[in-house]
Amino acid sequence: MKFMTDHIDPDRRRFLTNTGWLAAGVTVLASCSGILPVLPTTGNPDNDDASTWIQILADGRVRFFCPRMEMGQGATLGLSQIVAEELNVPQSQINCLTPDSDQVQPFKMTVGSEGLSVFSVPVSHGAASLREHLRALAVAKSGLPISEVTHMRGGFKAGDVSFGFGDLVPVDAELVVAETGDEQSSYLVRNTRPRQAIGERWKHPDLEKIVTGQMIYSRDVSRPGMLFGDAVRPPRFGATLKKVDDKGVRDLPGVVSVVIDLANNLAGVVADNPMILPGVLEMLDVQWQTPEGSADADALDVSKYRPTDDFEHTLVDEGDSPDPDTIRGKTHQAMYTTSSMAHAAMEPRAAVADVNDKTAEIWCGCQDPYFVRGRVAALLGRGAEDIVVHPLRMGGGFGGRVLCQPAEEAALMSAHVGKPVRVQWDRETEFQQNYFQPKFSHAIDSGLNERGEIAFWHHDFVSAPIIFGLAPKSVAPVLDAFVADEGTARGALSPYRADHKRVRYSDIRTDVPTGAWRGLGAAPNTFAIESMMDEMAHLAETDPLDFRLTHLRTAGPMADRLSSVLKSVADLSKWGRPAPDNTGLGIACAIYKNQTSVAVVAEVKIDHQSRAVKVARLWCSQDCGLVVNPDQVENQVLGNLVWGCNLALKEKLDIQNGVVEQTNFDSYNVLRFDEAPQTFIHLLETADTPPGAVGESAFAPTAAAIANATFAATGKRPRHLPFDYDTLFA
Amino acid sequence: MTTLNGKPLSLPRSMLDVSLLDYLRDHAHLKGTKFGCGQGLCGACTVNVDGTAERSCQLNMSDVLGHDVTTIEGLSATVGGDKLHPVQQAWIDEAVPQCGYCQPGQIMAAVALLRQNASPDDADINDAMRGNICRCGTYDRIRRAISRAAAEA
Repeated sequence: MKFMTDHIDPDRRRFLTNTGWLAAGVTVLASCSGILPVLPTTGNPDNDDASTWIQILADGRVRFFCPRMEMGQGATLGLSQIVAEELNVPQSQINCLTPDSDQVQPFKMTVGSEGLSVFSVPVSHGAASLREHLRALAVAKSGLPISEVTHMRGGFKAGDVSFGFGDLVPVDAELVVAETGDEQSSYLVRNTRPRQAIGERWKHPDLEKIVTGQMIYSRDVSRPGMLFGDAVRPPRFGATLKKVDDKGVRDLPGVVSVVIDLANNLAGVVADNPMILPGVLEMLDVQWQTPEGSADADALDVSKYRPTDDFEHTLVDEGDSPDPDTIRGKTHQAMYTTSSMAHAAMEPRAAVADVNDKTAEIWCGCQDPYFVRGRVAALLGRGAEDIVVHPLRMGGGFGGRVLCQPAEEAALMSAHVGKPVRVQWDRETEFQQNYFQPKFSHAIDSGLNERGEIAFWHHDFVSAPIIFGLAPKSVAPVLDAFVADEGTARGALSPYRADHKRVRYSDIRTDVPTGAWRGLGAAPNTFAIESMMDEMAHLAETDPLDFRLTHLRTAGPMADRLSSVLKSVADLSKWGRPAPDNTGLGIACAIYKNQTSVAVVAEVKIDHQSRAVKVARLWCSQDCGLVVNPDQVENQVLGNLVWGCNLALKEKLDIQNGVVEQTNFDSYNVLRFDEAPQTFIHLLETADTPPGAVGESAFAPTAAAIANATFAATGKRPRHLPFDYDTLFA
Repeated sequence: MTTLNGKPLSLPRSMLDVSLLDYLRDHAHLKGTKFGCGQGLCGACTVNVDGTAERSCQLNMSDVLGHDVTTIEGLSATVGGDKLHPVQQAWIDEAVPQCGYCQPGQIMAAVALLRQNASPDDADINDAMRGNICRCGTYDRIRRAISRAAAEA
């Protein structure tokens, strides 16, 4: 055991000091990389990172700086259970904290259903390393050989003596952290004893705060001496601030300052009373420069590019070209579209900034506090390490909180007035000033061979960049020319066998800001594939379930897992039973991120009197590998099923001339109680499979299952989402 | 007499035009009642006025003069204050919340529903709760939690 504190670089020392480690004078890890990467928020964690997240305190409790932001997905709970498993402690012994940006090294943004799938293994190694480090302390203290020091609940047994973890913290220290390294001892990876925390239905420690109104979200933050800011925001995408006449607004009672910052597109007012802000902002005379012309969303129409085979990327082009003689009369073409959509999280975003000459602190809910830190640092002309972001639980994320624009606005205004400033977006701003899910436009040609199986599958689609949607204008053209946006293409590769399979696409940048939205391309792409599979099954006069199973045979291990969930959901929903009039069952499935297989059956009822398409029931079987907390996973599946209903029947943004027409929940429709189906969820676990992606997986096939059920009920095929009774029977 | 969570409330005249939601959050510092839409469309700001569910963003303080306002913070006091209200407990037992932001409003709507109808079926629940959006999609669990609270009452 070495004391390495003298060899820690300044940045590392800073966060160790902030978390109390250096003050405690305890051992810190030896092999940790001393260099902080410049842009770490997109890189996966390694085991050295993980060993800095977990500490044993003198009272024996575990402090866990969880490297995931919480927005309801429950990753903080699942990872706490991983820590508890490795250390063998009850839930009451774990204090899971969301770290401030200076308390741990930067970690990857919270996106992509990676909380358990990417972070569970490093967290388990971190906790296991700590356990083995403590074991070494017990060996030293007892004088017994390591073979006689056995791990027990909350500590070790060495001969006749028991050591609680707290007993092993040196008297002059406050806490113990691990040496790095021991990758052999993770119980998650090598399951050498009965599980005690993994697989349990632990309840999230925040639940009581949530149901009593004590949970603090961004909008609830208050700081001493806090002022209130708001701004006039661009009237359309790409508008830049040209001129502002404050017309005496500065002198109005309650107004502290008018902050005009042309370079940063900010026309803001800071007041000592938040109630006066709307009226005061209306008095500002703000002139905007609006961009000429518009690369409008009409560009996202696949039929424009098909005649000339003008697609930027080919995902796959494999197999034998089909013999035209075998497919005569049994071919089909269909086009599918999905709409632009908003995240519409229930909490409109907000932030508090406290910027003075020496320090700058930000309180906000965001999926990437380090990205926010970097943006604020650039705006203020300071180093990123001089900004501290205090992240809070988000009132919904869904990909929409990678940016936190109010944090930037609040920082500029706080820097101006030298006092804490709160900025809260209202619902209209939340709908109009963020980035969005782009439209998707698909065309699929397919045909059957003499066995009634798919001879060819030619799928072309266009949409906009998603992962690179937020790329600055200066680099976007270069990126677009060389990089295929994997987010746009997520889920676009059909899992089914075909004699010849070709999938091409283009990610076309328009002037509509686009970025991460739940599942990225997975749900729109799966809607097209799984609708077309239903159409081809119909053409082949084969049951849609059997048709899918036939095409998954010998297609690989993930296809086998997909077959299993298809069979499971068929059992669950009693697939094949006769349906009453105006009722239909539809099935669809997906493999998500090559980790999770999921299948959904929808039961749709058509009410001709009230002119309504209603999703009555949804059944879902999912295999996401090891389930760390079944309750959390089932809740995520539930949310995804509801999102599938939204995609199928509800959500649509209309964007004209750079302006979003929807401003609130009267014009942007989301599913409500009376429309929400009964749900039945079943989880399968393929043995020896690590935790897979959960937060977006069941969303992928749900809209297609609903569309296929609608076809079964009516004989009419919904190919453009969202649909309703009137568009169906138009 | 006007009361807020059981305590008498005297309001200066200058407060009468302030919305109940803004009053609760920025003057009474009761942050459990949430802003969602500002137009009475989403239910996140639901409180109880004389035991009925109301959208606090749609009321001014002048509207609640002489009435009893209960927020999520005052809910457990209505059942003695030493434990959670049965609806809050049911929310935990069914592990309803995901992000949790809409849930204080959902709970206040559910409490008002159960006061009027002690054993609502799913159709009653859907009808009463239609104005409360949960973007995370926990509707099915909320229905279960309300039924559980009704059964255990």
